Amino acid sequence: MLLEISGFSKHFGGLAAVSNVDLNLEEGEIRGIIGPNGSGKSTLFNLISGVYQPEPGGTMFFDGENVTGLQPHEIARRGIARTFQMLRIFAQMTVLENLLVGHHCHTHYGTPSAIVGRKAVWEEERRVRSEMMDLLAFIGLADYARMPAGELSGGQRRLLALGRAMAMRPKLLMLDEPAAGLSPVNVDKLLDTVMALKERYGLTVIIIEHILKVVMDTCDVVSVLEHGEKIAEGPPAAIKDDHRVIEAYLGKEMDDAEVRAYLRSS
Amino acid sequence: MTDPMTDETAPVTEGAMMRATPVRHLAPWLVGLAVMVPLPWVAFNDYQRYLLDLILINVILAVGLNIVKGFAGQVTVGHVALMAIGAYTSAVLTTKFGAPFWFALPGAMLMTAVAGAIVGIPSFRLEGAYLALATLGLAESVRIFISATDYLGASVGYSDIPPPSLFGMPLNSFRSYYFVVMPLAVAGVYFSFCMLRSNIGRAFKALREDPLAAAASGINVRKYKSLAFIVSALYAGCAGSLAAHMSPGFLHPNSYTLVEMVTVLLMVVLGGIGHVWGGIIGAIIVTIIYDLTREYYQYQLLIFGLVIVLTVMFMPTGIGGIIDRYLVNRGFAAIRKARKDAA
Repeated sequence: MLLEISGFSKHFGGLAAVSNVDLNLEEGEIRGIIGPNGSGKSTLFNLISGVYQPEPGGTMFFDGENVTGLQPHEIARRGIARTFQMLRIFAQMTVLENLLVGHHCHTHYGTPSAIVGRKAVWEEERRVRSEMMDLLAFIGLADYARMPAGELSGGQRRLLALGRAMAMRPKLLMLDEPAAGLSPVNVDKLLDTVMALKERYGLTVIIIEHILKVVMDTCDVVSVLEHGEKIAEGPPAAIKDDHRVIEAYLGKEMDDAEVRAYLRSS
Repeated sequence: MTDPMTDETAPVTEGAMMRATPVRHLAPWLVGLAVMVPLPWVAFNDYQRYLLDLILINVILAVGLNIVKGFAGQVTVGHVALMAIGAYTSAVLTTKFGAPFWFALPGAMLMTAVAGAIVGIPSFRLEGAYLALATLGLAESVRIFISATDYLGASVGYSDIPPPSLFGMPLNSFRSYYFVVMPLAVAGVYFSFCMLRSNIGRAFKALREDPLAAAASGINVRKYKSLAFIVSALYAGCAGSLAAHMSPGFLHPNSYTLVEMVTVLLMVVLGGIGHVWGGIIGAIIVTIIYDLTREYYQYQLLIFGLVIVLTVMFMPTGIGGIIDRYLVNRGFAAIRKARKDAA
């Protein structure tokens, strides 16, 4: 088990955003998380990445280590990288700098040697920059390395957000709606990039996604959230036919044939 | 004095990446130092030499403020208070305890760093205008404390601060004092360059742009906020101490009011927030203008305030930003040309 979460809960005021969710991930799997808007998917991501602290009773083990209640940067250091729904790229920094920030916790030199500008610092900077250029080339943004990230197009920003997460050399990559707002062709391109990265670096991936095709095509296991609770979990084929899932997504009024037609078309 | 490795104009090639050898990295700084040595003799009169010293002290101050304000994006208006702490610490150490300047300077910097760390604490919870208010409160209380404390000369001022002496020779002329200030300014600028172009500078910029995304990238936000405040306080302490020991060796709490804060802020804003050259360009321009307009002092704050507003409205990235913009556009043009040629 790479990631073992049990009993995660988070309330905002009286509202249970996430309640008593368990999540177990095998190494190398691609997990999809689906659910209607407001079902707690992003809150679950924020709990895993340390942005929110889980309420007492929840525990999280990553790679055999208890990482419950750690700060976001401590979680990141242990190899959990995430992207944000709103991307949150550093718009005024260059594309290359965005990746270098992602690489931050793998820096070997200390603060004092950086301040006095020791030779080792310059050598490492040079090496890391060329590594990050390789990564940029891999995701297809090498031409834009020195441009401010804010000047990239929407699709390129999504790639950059992915690249910044990959610069952390994570074991677990969490993607929060990576394909939102992309045209079908670009969705496929992005997924190809994700799959290529997964193969190249041996990642485990969690994807939150509304485009069901993405989840059904790429994920090994899908977990379904509704009102903060996990209502179903299983391989995509089984999830497709699960009545509770169909209800959560589409309401009760449709009959099965219509639902299947809808799922096929989306 | 661009360093070859991160020179933004350099094309992204293996060759450009390989150029950074330590000798080439240090050489521009040594050239810069050599160019600055004869400046006091180039100056026409003592007034210009005084201005030269003042510019360099302001460079140190502005470079420090640029670290915390420009790079780390923490809106602090307490910077002159830190300078005051540095100045008075240095003054007290030399006059009341008989310490030589060479001990008083690091002492003042240390004291200011501690104060800087305290000023930085509100930044853990506050942002933007709220942080500005909190730091303003701290700054004003420092000034009022000084003007109410007889030990520190109260509102009469603190006088007879000795100039530094080297081998028994007092460095009390503006020309000899230049050789105390100048190496410190060059060293200060050098350190800020090294720091801001390493992962520390990138961490500062990241937490300015988006603290949450910075944390998710493995950056310890509190650590780097504190670091920014402490380092910039070291600069302020150094500038304060240098200002205290410059002839005529007199300090007054009125030198650390909001007006002075606006002036320092103007240096950073005009020079370019978050630009490694920002503080330096701004300090030179603003110090000269400040001195030229001294006889119209009642309008100075009005003018500076207007310039800040206009800069923020029409030139938000300052002079340094305009230079950057030019280089970026040139980079875009190069890509377009390369694509055209390939097609």
